[in-house]
Amino acid sequence: MSLPCWNCGGCAASRFCDACKALQPPAHDFYEFLGMPRQLALDAKELEKRFYALSRQLHPDLFSRKPVREQEYALESSAVLNDAYRTLKDPIARALYVLKREGFDIAEQGTKDVPPELLEEVFDLNMAIEELSEGDESARAQLESARHRFEVMRNEIDDALQGKFAEWDVAHDRGKLDEIRGQLNRRKYITNLIARTDIAHVSD
Amino acid sequence: MAYSDKVLDHYNNPRNVGSLDKSSPSVGTGMVGAPECGDVMKLQIRVNDESGIIEEAKFKTFGCGSAIASSSLATEWLKGKTVDQALEIKNTDIVNELSLPPVKIHCSVLAEDAIKAAIGDYRAKQSKQVPAAHAVV
Ligand code: FES
Ligand SMILES: [Zn+2]
Repeated sequence: MSLPCWNCGGCAASRFCDACKALQPPAHDFYEFLGMPRQLALDAKELEKRFYALSRQLHPDLFSRKPVREQEYALESSAVLNDAYRTLKDPIARALYVLKREGFDIAEQGTKDVPPELLEEVFDLNMAIEELSEGDESARAQLESARHRFEVMRNEIDDALQGKFAEWDVAHDRGKLDEIRGQLNRRKYITNLIARTDIAHVSD
Repeated sequence: MAYSDKVLDHYNNPRNVGSLDKSSPSVGTGMVGAPECGDVMKLQIRVNDESGIIEEAKFKTFGCGSAIASSSLATEWLKGKTVDQALEIKNTDIVNELSLPPVKIHCSVLAEDAIKAAIGDYRAKQSKQVPAAHAVV
């Protein structure tokens, strides 16, 4: 996808125009912007390398003598770069991003997309935390062990996600994304439980 | 984020917290959750089988202040309504009553979903009851 350069009208197949070297408006897709392969099991080292290289290339100081339009593109590009890095660096944020780009909307899914057993389970665990947090000193140990159990659950989910990420990368199959979304939902409930064990601690 | 007075009121004095006998054929239970925040809500109704009027409503919500207020308000509104009337409660009614900001709309959706789920559960139980009821008559 190459648009004509805004500055010289030549061919601008990359970030900078081949002919006049002017900075082009940023791609808004994070993978495309960073020039990284569309993968969920992303190479973290490579990501970091590109982030630092691009930060240098796009530094606003380098554009202070350029046309206003190009300065604006530089600012926009830096903003996209920071968003892209922050999002893709974190595996969970990355997966949510890919889901969204592929047309899955976590925020708009109904409660029906969550298995009822999971809700029951989460509800019961919440009840247990509440009871423990209202209890005396002796409940503390139980709360600790509950927290530990949730952390184990979360780690299991993270492992499962790792596997599914790699599987999606091979064929980009939508069914996989659906499974990933299921795991992410579950993970959100579990991390919430972990946070509540923390709150329970503070409140007494 | 600032909560409205009505939200604070429900949050500090939630109405109808508790639970009803899940196994009773007159009780409908709705259990819902919001995957984007990980909050869960349980809402139950007890319906008078003769009149179809909701006599009791209880909830328990593990979630943000807006979700607690939304479900507390929902239980207040449910009492005295028929099941059909209850189905007309919309999350936008809750948003207006509690002056919820746009970022908290999903919390009210959770309450509407919980009402629908509780009624769905009640109706499913009732339709299973029908043959038995006829047998008694
Ligand atoms: S933030 Fe989750 S229900 Fe309000
Ligand atoms: Zn050019």
